[in-house]
Amino acid sequence: MRILSLATVIFLLSACSVTRVDPWDRQYLARPEMAWDPDGSSATYRAHVYFSKEASNGGASAGGGGCGCN
Amino acid sequence: MNNNNKKPSALMALTSAAMALPGVGGKTEAAAPVSEPVLSYHVSHYREADIERKDHLGGARERYEIDTHQLGFAAPLTHAADLKLDLMVESMSGASPWYIQPDADGRPVQAMSGASIKEERYDVQGRFNHFVSKDTVLSYLAGYSDEHDYQAINVGLEIEHNIPVQQLTVSGGIGYSDDELEPTQGTTPVSVVKADKDNLTAFVGVGLIVNERTAVQTNLSVSDQQGFLSDPYKLVFIANQVNPLFADSRPDDRRQWVWLTRLRHFVPAANAAFHADYRYFDDDWDVESHTLELGWYQNIGVSWRFDTALRWYSQTAAYFYAPYFLSARPDGYATSDYRLSPYGALGLRLKLVKKLGPWQLSAELESYSAKDSYSLDSVEVENPGLVEFTTFSLGFDRVF
Repeated sequence: MRILSLATVIFLLSACSVTRVDPWDRQYLARPEMAWDPDGSSATYRAHVYFSKEASNGGASAGGGGCGCN
Repeated sequence: MNNNNKKPSALMALTSAAMALPGVGGKTEAAAPVSEPVLSYHVSHYREADIERKDHLGGARERYEIDTHQLGFAAPLTHAADLKLDLMVESMSGASPWYIQPDADGRPVQAMSGASIKEERYDVQGRFNHFVSKDTVLSYLAGYSDEHDYQAINVGLEIEHNIPVQQLTVSGGIGYSDDELEPTQGTTPVSVVKADKDNLTAFVGVGLIVNERTAVQTNLSVSDQQGFLSDPYKLVFIANQVNPLFADSRPDDRRQWVWLTRLRHFVPAANAAFHADYRYFDDDWDVESHTLELGWYQNIGVSWRFDTALRWYSQTAAYFYAPYFLSARPDGYATSDYRLSPYGALGLRLKLVKKLGPWQLSAELESYSAKDSYSLDSVEVENPGLVEFTTFSLGFDRVF
Protein backbone atom coordinates (compact mmCIF):
# COMPACT_ATOMS: atom_id res chain seq x y z
CA MET A 1 0.00 0.00 0.00
CA ARG A 2 2.83 2.35 0.79
CA ILE A 3 4.20 1.72 -2.71
CA LEU A 4 0.84 2.77 -4.15
CA SER A 5 0.94 5.92 -2.04
CA LEU A 6 4.41 6.74 -3.20
CA ALA A 7 3.55 6.05 -6.83
CA THR A 8 0.52 8.32 -6.66
CA VAL A 9 2.48 11.16 -5.10
CA ILE A 10 5.26 10.75 -7.64
CA PHE A 11 2.64 10.93 -10.38
CA LEU A 12 1.17 14.11 -8.96
CA LEU A 13 4.60 15.66 -8.59
CA SER A 14 5.79 14.50 -11.99
CA ALA A 15 4.63 17.80 -13.42
CA CYS A 16 7.35 19.48 -11.42
CA SER A 17 9.47 20.70 -14.28
CA VAL A 18 9.20 24.21 -12.91
CA THR A 19 9.12 27.16 -15.27
CA ARG A 20 9.37 30.81 -14.33
CA VAL A 21 5.91 32.41 -13.95
CA ASP A 22 5.81 36.17 -13.50
CA PRO A 23 3.01 37.65 -11.37
CA TRP A 24 1.29 39.06 -14.45
CA ASP A 25 1.19 35.58 -15.98
CA ARG A 26 -0.79 34.01 -13.15
CA GLN A 27 -4.28 34.70 -14.43
CA TYR A 28 -5.12 31.01 -14.65
CA LEU A 29 -3.74 30.27 -11.19
CA ALA A 30 -5.82 33.14 -9.77
CA ARG A 31 -9.09 31.73 -11.06
CA PRO A 32 -11.49 30.66 -8.30
CA GLU A 33 -11.82 27.09 -9.62
CA MET A 34 -8.03 26.70 -9.26
CA ALA A 35 -8.11 27.20 -5.47
CA TRP A 36 -7.18 24.28 -3.22
CA ASP A 37 -10.77 24.50 -1.93
CA PRO A 38 -12.83 26.54 -4.40
CA ASP A 39 -15.79 26.76 -1.99
CA GLY A 40 -14.74 27.06 1.66
CA SER A 41 -18.21 26.46 3.12
CA SER A 42 -18.75 23.37 0.99
CA ALA A 43 -15.28 22.01 1.83
CA THR A 44 -15.90 22.55 5.56
CA TYR A 45 -19.24 20.76 5.36
CA ARG A 46 -17.86 17.79 3.42
CA ALA A 47 -14.86 17.44 5.76
CA HIS A 48 -17.29 17.37 8.71
CA VAL A 49 -19.42 14.67 7.08
CA TYR A 50 -16.42 12.46 6.23
CA PHE A 51 -15.00 13.02 9.72
CA SER A 52 -18.21 11.64 11.22
CA LYS A 53 -18.38 8.57 8.91
CA GLU A 54 -14.77 7.48 8.38
CA ALA A 55 -11.78 6.61 10.57
CA SER A 56 -9.50 9.09 8.80
CA ASN A 57 -9.45 12.85 8.88
CA GLY A 58 -7.09 15.79 8.70
CA GLY A 59 -4.83 17.35 6.13
CA ALA A 60 -3.65 20.91 5.77
CA SER A 61 -5.15 22.79 8.69
CA ALA A 62 -4.76 23.23 12.42
CA GLY A 63 -8.35 24.40 12.90
CA GLY A 64 -11.50 22.73 14.15
CA GLY A 65 -12.50 20.81 17.23
CA GLY A 66 -14.16 17.50 17.95
CA CYS A 67 -17.84 16.69 17.95
CA GLY A 68 -20.14 14.02 19.32
CA CYS A 69 -20.53 12.61 15.82
CA ASN A 70 -17.25 10.71 16.09
CA MET B 1 -14.44 40.31 -21.13
CA ASN B 2 -16.84 38.55 -23.48
CA ASN B 3 -14.95 35.32 -23.83
CA ASN B 4 -14.06 33.63 -20.57
CA ASN B 5 -11.48 31.53 -22.39
CA LYS B 6 -9.66 34.59 -23.66
CA LYS B 7 -6.48 35.52 -21.77
CA PRO B 8 -7.27 38.35 -19.35
CA SER B 9 -5.12 41.43 -19.22
CA ALA B 10 -2.20 41.73 -16.82
CA LEU B 11 -4.19 44.29 -14.81
CA MET B 12 -7.10 41.86 -14.45
CA ALA B 13 -4.71 39.10 -13.46
CA LEU B 14 -3.21 41.25 -10.71
CA THR B 15 -6.68 42.30 -9.56
CA SER B 16 -7.75 38.67 -9.36
CA ALA B 17 -4.60 37.82 -7.43
CA ALA B 18 -5.22 40.68 -5.00
CA MET B 19 -8.71 39.31 -4.32
CA ALA B 20 -7.35 35.98 -3.13
CA LEU B 21 -8.98 35.08 0.17
CA PRO B 22 -6.52 33.37 2.53
CA GLY B 23 -8.18 30.63 4.46
CA VAL B 24 -11.41 31.37 2.69
CA GLY B 25 -10.77 30.29 -0.86
CA GLY B 26 -7.35 28.72 -0.25
CA LYS B 27 -5.78 30.13 -3.41
CA THR B 28 -2.95 28.27 -5.08
CA GLU B 29 -1.06 31.57 -5.15
CA ALA B 30 0.36 33.60 -2.29
CA ALA B 31 -2.26 34.82 0.18
CA ALA B 32 -3.58 38.38 0.21
CA PRO B 33 -5.95 40.17 2.61
CA VAL B 34 -9.67 40.06 1.95
CA SER B 35 -10.43 43.17 -0.12
CA GLU B 36 -14.24 43.29 0.26
CA PRO B 37 -16.70 41.89 2.80
CA VAL B 38 -18.21 38.54 1.81
CA LEU B 39 -21.36 37.07 3.36
CA SER B 40 -22.36 33.48 2.67
CA TYR B 41 -25.24 31.22 3.61
CA HIS B 42 -25.32 27.52 2.80
CA VAL B 43 -28.08 25.08 3.68
CA SER B 44 -27.64 21.30 3.34
CA HIS B 45 -29.77 18.22 3.82
CA TYR B 46 -28.04 14.92 4.64
CA ARG B 47 -29.92 11.64 4.55
CA GLU B 48 -28.68 8.12 5.20
CA ALA B 49 -30.34 5.16 3.52
CA ASP B 50 -32.35 2.88 5.85
CA ILE B 51 -30.49 -0.19 7.02
CA GLU B 52 -31.39 -3.22 4.89
CA ARG B 53 -33.87 -5.71 6.37
CA LYS B 54 -31.47 -8.64 5.91
CA ASP B 55 -28.88 -6.85 8.10
CA HIS B 56 -31.35 -5.56 10.69
CA LEU B 57 -31.67 -7.17 14.13
CA GLY B 58 -33.86 -4.63 15.92
CA GLY B 59 -34.50 -0.97 16.67
CA ALA B 60 -35.44 1.67 14.12
CA ARG B 61 -34.42 1.12 10.49
CA GLU B 62 -34.44 4.83 9.64
CA ARG B 63 -30.96 6.24 10.00
CA TYR B 64 -29.74 9.81 10.39
CA GLU B 65 -31.15 12.86 8.69
CA ILE B 66 -29.34 16.12 9.30
CA ASP B 67 -30.21 19.67 8.27
CA THR B 68 -27.23 22.00 8.34
CA HIS B 69 -27.15 25.79 8.12
CA GLN B 70 -23.83 27.57 7.58
CA LEU B 71 -23.41 31.32 7.88
CA GLY B 72 -20.03 32.79 6.96
CA PHE B 73 -18.66 36.32 7.03
CA ALA B 74 -15.24 37.58 5.94
CA ALA B 75 -14.13 41.21 5.99
CA PRO B 76 -10.98 43.32 5.89
CA LEU B 77 -10.06 44.95 9.21
CA THR B 78 -7.03 46.97 8.09
CA HIS B 79 -4.84 46.97 4.99
CA ALA B 80 -2.93 44.05 6.55
CA ALA B 81 -5.53 42.10 8.50
CA ASP B 82 -8.85 40.38 7.94
CA LEU B 83 -11.33 38.36 9.94
CA LYS B 84 -13.47 35.37 9.04
CA LEU B 85 -16.32 33.94 11.12
CA ASP B 86 -18.26 30.75 10.43
CA LEU B 87 -21.33 29.49 12.22
CA MET B 88 -22.71 25.99 11.66
CA VAL B 89 -26.03 24.80 13.10
CA GLU B 90 -27.06 21.16 12.70
CA SER B 91 -30.41 19.51 13.48
CA MET B 92 -30.20 15.71 13.63
CA SER B 93 -32.70 12.91 14.02
CA GLY B 94 -32.75 9.18 13.39
CA ALA B 95 -31.23 5.94 14.61
CA SER B 96 -27.59 4.85 14.68
CA PRO B 97 -25.86 1.45 14.88
CA TRP B 98 -25.80 0.11 18.47
CA TYR B 99 -24.27 -3.36 18.45
CA ILE B 100 -23.80 -6.38 16.17
CA GLN B 101 -24.47 -10.00 16.99
CA PRO B 102 -24.40 -13.21 14.93
CA ASP B 103 -27.61 -14.69 13.57
CA ALA B 104 -28.29 -18.44 13.57
CA ASP B 105 -25.82 -18.89 10.69
CA GLY B 106 -23.11 -16.78 12.30
CA ARG B 107 -23.73 -13.86 9.95
CA PRO B 108 -23.43 -10.46 11.68
CA VAL B 109 -26.67 -8.49 11.99
CA GLN B 110 -27.04 -4.95 13.25
CA ALA B 111 -29.07 -3.77 16.24
CA MET B 112 -29.98 -0.10 15.93
CA SER B 113 -30.75 2.43 18.61
CA GLY B 114 -34.33 3.62 18.89
CA ALA B 115 -35.20 6.64 16.78
CA SER B 116 -33.74 9.64 18.56
CA ILE B 117 -35.47 12.87 19.33
CA LYS B 118 -34.20 15.88 17.43
CA GLU B 119 -30.77 17.02 18.57
CA GLU B 120 -28.90 20.18 17.68
CA ARG B 121 -25.27 21.19 17.42
CA TYR B 122 -23.83 24.70 17.22
CA ASP B 123 -20.29 25.33 16.02
CA VAL B 124 -18.61 28.71 15.63
CA GLN B 125 -15.11 29.15 14.20
CA GLY B 126 -13.09 32.34 13.84
CA ARG B 127 -9.90 33.11 11.94
CA PHE B 128 -7.90 36.33 12.22
CA ASN B 129 -5.30 36.75 9.47
CA HIS B 130 -2.46 39.20 10.13
CA PHE B 131 -0.15 39.99 7.19
CA VAL B 132 3.07 40.74 9.02
CA SER B 133 4.81 41.37 5.68
CA LYS B 134 3.84 41.19 2.02
CA ASP B 135 4.96 37.55 1.97
CA THR B 136 4.04 36.30 5.44
CA VAL B 137 0.66 35.82 7.09
CA LEU B 138 -0.03 34.68 10.63
CA SER B 139 -3.47 33.22 11.31
CA TYR B 140 -5.02 32.90 14.75
CA LEU B 141 -7.88 30.39 15.02
CA ALA B 142 -10.43 29.76 17.74
CA GLY B 143 -13.71 27.90 17.90
CA TYR B 144 -16.40 26.40 20.10
CA SER B 145 -18.81 23.53 19.47
CA ASP B 146 -21.81 22.74 21.65
CA GLU B 147 -24.38 19.95 21.65
CA HIS B 148 -26.43 18.50 24.46
CA ASP B 149 -23.86 15.80 25.31
CA TYR B 150 -20.62 17.21 23.88
CA GLN B 151 -18.67 20.47 24.10
CA ALA B 152 -15.36 21.27 22.39
CA ILE B 153 -13.16 24.34 22.43
CA ASN B 154 -10.30 24.71 19.98
CA VAL B 155 -7.48 27.16 19.26
CA GLY B 156 -4.81 27.21 16.57
CA LEU B 157 -1.97 29.16 15.02
CA GLU B 158 -0.92 28.93 11.38
CA ILE B 159 1.80 30.62 9.35
CA GLU B 160 2.18 30.91 5.60
CA HIS B 161 5.25 32.34 3.91
CA ASN B 162 5.65 33.04 0.24
CA ILE B 163 9.08 32.73 -1.42
CA PRO B 164 8.50 34.50 -4.77
CA VAL B 165 11.83 33.65 -6.44
CA GLN B 166 11.32 29.92 -5.94
CA GLN B 167 7.54 30.21 -6.53
CA LEU B 168 7.09 28.38 -3.24
CA THR B 169 4.67 28.84 -0.38
CA VAL B 170 5.61 27.15 2.87
CA SER B 171 3.07 26.77 5.64
CA GLY B 172 2.71 25.24 9.06
CA GLY B 173 0.48 25.28 12.06
CA ILE B 174 -0.47 23.86 15.40
CA GLY B 175 -3.93 23.36 16.84
CA TYR B 176 -5.43 22.11 20.11
CA SER B 177 -8.94 20.93 20.94
CA ASP B 178 -10.28 20.24 24.44
CA ASP B 179 -13.47 18.15 24.39
CA GLU B 180 -15.90 17.17 27.14
CA LEU B 181 -18.53 14.43 26.87
CA GLU B 182 -21.63 14.03 29.04
CA PRO B 183 -23.54 11.19 27.37
CA THR B 184 -27.27 11.17 28.03
CA GLN B 185 -28.80 8.08 29.52
CA GLY B 186 -31.85 7.34 27.36
CA THR B 187 -33.24 4.29 25.65
CA THR B 188 -29.63 3.38 24.89
CA PRO B 189 -27.55 2.87 28.08
CA VAL B 190 -24.21 4.68 28.13
CA SER B 191 -20.82 3.48 29.32
CA VAL B 192 -19.68 6.67 31.04
CA VAL B 193 -21.33 9.62 32.75
CA LYS B 194 -18.68 12.25 32.04
CA ALA B 195 -15.33 12.13 30.23
CA ASP B 196 -12.70 14.28 28.54
CA LYS B 197 -10.42 14.02 25.56
CA ASP B 198 -8.04 16.36 23.80
CA ASN B 199 -6.39 16.55 20.42
CA LEU B 200 -3.11 18.21 19.45
CA THR B 201 -2.41 18.65 15.72
CA ALA B 202 0.61 20.03 13.87
CA PHE B 203 1.22 20.29 10.14
CA VAL B 204 3.77 21.55 7.62
CA GLY B 205 3.20 22.07 3.93
CA VAL B 206 4.77 23.38 0.78
CA GLY B 207 3.07 24.67 -2.35
CA LEU B 208 4.76 25.15 -5.71
CA ILE B 209 3.74 27.02 -8.84
CA VAL B 210 4.94 24.67 -11.57
CA ASN B 211 3.97 26.73 -14.59
CA GLU B 212 1.30 29.23 -15.71
CA ARG B 213 -1.40 26.58 -15.45
CA THR B 214 -0.24 24.15 -12.76
CA ALA B 215 0.30 24.20 -9.01
CA VAL B 216 1.02 21.39 -6.53
CA GLN B 217 0.97 21.25 -2.76
CA THR B 218 1.99 18.59 -0.27
CA ASN B 219 1.30 18.58 3.48
CA LEU B 220 2.28 16.35 6.37
CA SER B 221 0.34 16.43 9.62
CA VAL B 222 0.44 14.54 12.89
CA SER B 223 -2.28 14.41 15.57
CA ASP B 224 -2.18 13.09 19.10
CA GLN B 225 -5.49 12.26 20.75
CA GLN B 226 -5.70 11.45 24.45
CA GLY B 227 -8.54 10.68 26.83
CA PHE B 228 -11.85 8.88 26.41
CA LEU B 229 -11.83 7.81 22.74
CA SER B 230 -14.49 5.08 23.00
CA ASP B 231 -18.07 5.54 21.81
CA PRO B 232 -20.21 5.75 24.96
CA TYR B 233 -23.38 4.73 23.10
CA LYS B 234 -22.08 1.58 21.39
CA LEU B 235 -21.81 -2.00 22.62
CA VAL B 236 -19.92 -5.10 21.49
CA PHE B 237 -21.10 -8.72 21.52
CA ILE B 238 -18.75 -11.29 23.11
CA ALA B 239 -20.18 -14.73 22.41
CA ASN B 240 -18.70 -16.80 25.24
CA GLN B 241 -19.95 -14.53 28.04
CA VAL B 242 -23.12 -15.13 30.08
CA ASN B 243 -24.20 -11.56 29.45
CA PRO B 244 -22.64 -11.03 26.01
CA LEU B 245 -23.05 -7.24 25.62
CA PHE B 246 -20.17 -5.02 26.76
CA ALA B 247 -19.27 -1.37 26.34
CA ASP B 248 -17.24 -0.26 23.32
CA SER B 249 -13.68 0.06 24.63
CA ARG B 250 -10.74 1.68 22.83
CA PRO B 251 -7.23 2.74 23.83
CA ASP B 252 -7.05 6.15 25.48
CA ASP B 253 -4.47 7.50 23.08
CA ARG B 254 -4.12 7.59 19.31
CA ARG B 255 -1.46 9.03 17.01
CA GLN B 256 -2.43 9.79 13.42
CA TRP B 257 -0.27 10.71 10.42
CA VAL B 258 -1.70 12.32 7.32
CA TRP B 259 0.04 13.03 4.03
CA LEU B 260 -2.07 15.14 1.69
CA THR B 261 -0.93 16.02 -1.85
CA ARG B 262 -2.94 18.16 -4.24
CA LEU B 263 -2.60 19.11 -7.89
CA ARG B 264 -4.41 21.90 -9.75
CA HIS B 265 -4.12 22.21 -13.52
CA PHE B 266 -5.98 24.62 -15.77
CA VAL B 267 -6.84 23.50 -19.32
CA PRO B 268 -7.34 26.66 -21.42
CA ALA B 269 -8.63 24.74 -24.45
CA ALA B 270 -11.50 23.38 -22.36
CA ASN B 271 -11.79 26.45 -20.09
CA ALA B 272 -11.74 24.03 -17.16
CA ALA B 273 -9.66 23.12 -14.14
CA PHE B 274 -8.56 19.60 -13.23
CA HIS B 275 -8.12 18.70 -9.55
CA ALA B 276 -6.34 15.65 -8.15
CA ASP B 277 -6.07 15.13 -4.36
CA TYR B 278 -4.48 12.14 -2.69
CA ARG B 279 -4.40 11.55 1.08
CA TYR B 280 -2.55 8.81 2.89
CA PHE B 281 -3.54 8.18 6.52
CA ASP B 282 -1.90 5.92 9.08
CA ASP B 283 -2.38 5.58 12.82
CA ASP B 284 -1.26 3.43 15.74
CA TRP B 285 -4.66 1.70 15.87
CA ASP B 286 -3.57 -0.03 12.61
CA VAL B 287 -5.97 2.02 10.52
CA GLU B 288 -4.42 2.83 7.16
CA SER B 289 -6.40 4.61 4.48
CA HIS B 290 -6.15 6.00 0.98
CA THR B 291 -8.34 8.79 -0.36
CA LEU B 292 -8.22 9.79 -4.02
CA GLU B 293 -10.40 12.58 -5.35
CA LEU B 294 -10.46 13.68 -8.98
CA GLY B 295 -12.41 16.76 -10.04
CA TRP B 296 -13.27 18.60 -13.24
CA TYR B 297 -14.42 22.23 -12.88
CA GLN B 298 -15.97 23.20 -16.20
CA ASN B 299 -16.69 26.87 -16.96
CA ILE B 300 -19.72 27.41 -19.20
CA GLY B 301 -19.76 30.88 -20.75
CA VAL B 302 -18.85 33.71 -18.45
CA SER B 303 -21.12 33.10 -15.49
CA TRP B 304 -21.81 29.38 -15.13
CA ARG B 305 -19.65 26.53 -13.87
CA PHE B 306 -20.34 22.80 -13.55
CA ASP B 307 -18.16 20.77 -11.18
CA THR B 308 -17.87 16.99 -11.16
CA ALA B 309 -15.80 15.11 -8.60
CA LEU B 310 -15.27 11.42 -7.94
CA ARG B 311 -13.94 10.33 -4.55
CA TRP B 312 -12.62 6.88 -3.65
CA TYR B 313 -11.76 5.92 -0.09
CA SER B 314 -10.40 2.69 1.39
CA GLN B 315 -9.43 1.87 4.97
CA THR B 316 -8.17 -1.08 6.99
CA ALA B 317 -9.63 -2.03 10.36
CA ALA B 318 -8.48 -0.99 13.82
CA TYR B 319 -6.60 -3.85 15.50
CA PHE B 320 -9.28 -4.24 18.17
CA TYR B 321 -12.23 -4.31 15.72
CA ALA B 322 -14.45 -7.28 14.91
CA PRO B 323 -18.12 -7.42 13.89
CA TYR B 324 -18.55 -9.56 17.02
CA PHE B 325 -16.15 -11.44 19.29
CA LEU B 326 -16.04 -15.14 20.14
CA SER B 327 -14.12 -14.33 23.32
CA ALA B 328 -12.78 -11.23 25.04
CA ARG B 329 -9.48 -9.80 23.85
CA PRO B 330 -6.62 -10.08 26.38
CA ASP B 331 -6.11 -6.28 26.32
CA GLY B 332 -9.80 -5.62 27.02
CA TYR B 333 -10.29 -3.45 23.92
CA ALA B 334 -13.20 -4.14 21.58
CA THR B 335 -15.25 -2.25 19.03
CA SER B 336 -17.76 -3.17 16.32
CA ASP B 337 -18.10 0.39 15.05
CA TYR B 338 -18.41 0.30 11.25
CA ARG B 339 -16.18 3.39 11.13
CA LEU B 340 -13.29 1.28 12.40
CA SER B 341 -14.09 -1.69 10.13
CA PRO B 342 -12.37 -2.51 6.83
CA TYR B 343 -14.25 -1.09 3.85
CA GLY B 344 -14.10 1.16 0.84
CA ALA B 345 -16.38 3.96 -0.34
CA LEU B 346 -17.23 5.72 -3.57
CA GLY B 347 -18.64 9.21 -3.77
CA LEU B 348 -19.86 11.27 -6.71
CA ARG B 349 -20.37 15.01 -6.40
CA LEU B 350 -22.06 17.35 -8.88
CA LYS B 351 -22.27 21.10 -8.47
CA LEU B 352 -23.69 23.96 -10.50
CA VAL B 353 -22.42 27.49 -9.84
CA LYS B 354 -23.93 30.70 -11.22
CA LYS B 355 -22.44 34.19 -10.85
CA LEU B 356 -25.05 36.94 -10.83
CA GLY B 357 -23.64 40.41 -10.20
CA PRO B 358 -22.33 40.45 -6.64
CA TRP B 359 -23.96 37.09 -5.96
CA GLN B 360 -22.69 33.55 -6.40
CA LEU B 361 -25.39 30.90 -6.27
CA SER B 362 -24.69 27.17 -6.10
CA ALA B 363 -26.49 23.84 -5.92
CA GLU B 364 -24.58 20.67 -4.99
CA LEU B 365 -25.50 16.99 -4.85
CA GLU B 366 -23.38 14.18 -3.44
CA SER B 367 -24.00 10.45 -3.35
CA TYR B 368 -21.80 8.23 -1.14
CA SER B 369 -21.81 4.48 -0.71
CA ALA B 370 -19.57 2.34 1.53
CA LYS B 371 -19.08 -1.36 0.70
CA ASP B 372 -16.54 -4.09 1.33
CA SER B 373 -16.11 -4.51 -2.43
CA TYR B 374 -14.76 -0.95 -2.77
CA SER B 375 -11.92 -1.74 -0.40
CA LEU B 376 -8.36 -1.99 -1.69
CA ASP B 377 -7.82 -5.11 0.41
CA SER B 378 -10.17 -8.07 0.50
CA VAL B 379 -12.63 -7.94 3.40
CA GLU B 380 -13.54 -11.19 5.12
CA VAL B 381 -16.83 -10.05 6.66
CA GLU B 382 -18.60 -6.82 5.77
CA ASN B 383 -19.89 -4.72 8.66
CA PRO B 384 -23.71 -4.57 8.34
CA GLY B 385 -23.75 -0.96 9.55
CA LEU B 386 -21.89 0.55 6.58
CA VAL B 387 -23.49 3.76 5.46
CA GLU B 388 -24.97 5.12 2.25
CA PHE B 389 -25.96 8.75 2.12
CA THR B 390 -26.92 11.61 -0.15
CA THR B 391 -26.48 15.31 0.52
CA PHE B 392 -28.03 18.26 -1.23
CA SER B 393 -26.81 21.81 -0.64
CA LEU B 394 -27.74 25.30 -1.77
CA GLY B 395 -25.27 28.16 -1.43
CA PHE B 396 -25.77 31.94 -1.51
CA ASP B 397 -22.59 34.07 -1.43
CA ARG B 398 -22.52 37.85 -1.80
CA VAL B 399 -19.63 40.27 -2.11
CA PHE B 400 -20.30 43.79 -0.76
